[in-house]
Amino acid sequence: MKIGKVEVKVSIIAIAVFAFFTLLLIVASYYSPVVRSQLIWLIPGLFMLLVIPIALNYMSRSQYADLEPVYEASAKTVRIKMINMGMVGKAVRIEGVVEQIHFQFLNRPQYTVADRSGAISVKMFTTPNEDVKVNDIVEVLGQVIQRYVVTGDPVVNCISIRKKIKNND
Amino acid sequence: MTIADTPPQPHRIHERYLELAVPGASFGATLAGILAWQLGYEINFQFFAVGCLIASCVLAYLAWIRPKKDIVALSTPIYGVIFFVVPTEYTVGVIMQLVYAVSLTILLIRLKVRFGKPGTAAAMGRKLADPLLTYVDQTRDAFAGITPETAHEAAVVFVQFTHGEYRHAAQRAGAQTGDGEHAATLVRAFAVIKEHAVLIDKSLCRPVVYEVFRLEDSALLAHPHPPAYDDDREFYAALDNALLLLFSVAWNYSEADRPHLLACQAFVLKLLD
Repeated sequence: MKIGKVEVKVSIIAIAVFAFFTLLLIVASYYSPVVRSQLIWLIPGLFMLLVIPIALNYMSRSQYADLEPVYEASAKTVRIKMINMGMVGKAVRIEGVVEQIHFQFLNRPQYTVADRSGAISVKMFTTPNEDVKVNDIVEVLGQVIQRYVVTGDPVVNCISIRKKIKNND
Repeated sequence: MTIADTPPQPHRIHERYLELAVPGASFGATLAGILAWQLGYEINFQFFAVGCLIASCVLAYLAWIRPKKDIVALSTPIYGVIFFVVPTEYTVGVIMQLVYAVSLTILLIRLKVRFGKPGTAAAMGRKLADPLLTYVDQTRDAFAGITPETAHEAAVVFVQFTHGEYRHAAQRAGAQTGDGEHAATLVRAFAVIKEHAVLIDKSLCRPVVYEVFRLEDSALLAHPHPPAYDDDREFYAALDNALLLLFSVAWNYSEADRPHLLACQAFVLKLLD
């Protein structure tokens, strides 16, 4: 779904929650007159379960789209091995192969990207523009952060992840 | 005395007691509550949840002192408060506390299996780890004649590069002339760092001709023989060697900079790997 120039993607979890409560509402309203009398509130409430994730996704993706040129201009291209705790807050550009992907179904994908010098976690707090898969060679723009905000190893807070070479799978 | 005969260090014994305290406090307080009720002392069972709360805090501490953090174990005190802040009846309280105690024990096992041992002083940034200490000791005498000013400059350039301040690192490294017996090696190390810092700062690719160490520098380098067939490896090995050399010089002859150097230890160990 596209709102303005922003491609909005709703997570499968949000759709599943909406489907579950829709089914629950249909069954409950069939059996209970009390529920039927409250449908004027329940139906908009039900749609809010979809509208809120869509709005949040739109806002985060439009923010990320605005940040991308800023990072494009300021990020330094570094080898993964060079990323360390002293670089927290710095904008970086890394290139590597995607080894693992977690939490894609939550619209909060976490990639493990590796180059010849090492591997690092790349966390994205929204959906990426491109559908990145394992073994894709990618360019990542982002900021070095600590894994748990105030503690943990350095990871990259991803602003943009782009495929450079697609895998053949 | 063999390694097997070596008595456990005091901090290890301390950690072992803390590990035992997790199931001990959580199950112990709940079982004490059950015993009290069996003896006719019907005290509000919520009070016995204090054992689970203490166990949660101990588990969070054990997670905190590990170099690799476990967010689940770290957040157990919050869950402890959420679960036990509301007064409960005896049966519900017993079930909740026992299930919680079992969960904490499982999390403790998970912490030990998946998140390694508690941090050593080196990992926690209080002293140099063995491989690094060996390299630093090996190269100490070679730079015996170096001035404290040059050693401090080595520390500044190293820390600036490590912190991603590439422009400043390049400017500072370019101004160094080196001194002491192995001045030429040190100048080459600064030149390598300057070249890499400029390339990173301007987002440029590896040049065809680049700065490398010479054969006579080999004895002072951590990685003396990068593969000659691979330009990329040779290029980046020169940077690793240069950074390690500056670290060693700064560590040995600029003691005031040691806290800053220790803060970069995890990165230096990666370079040494």
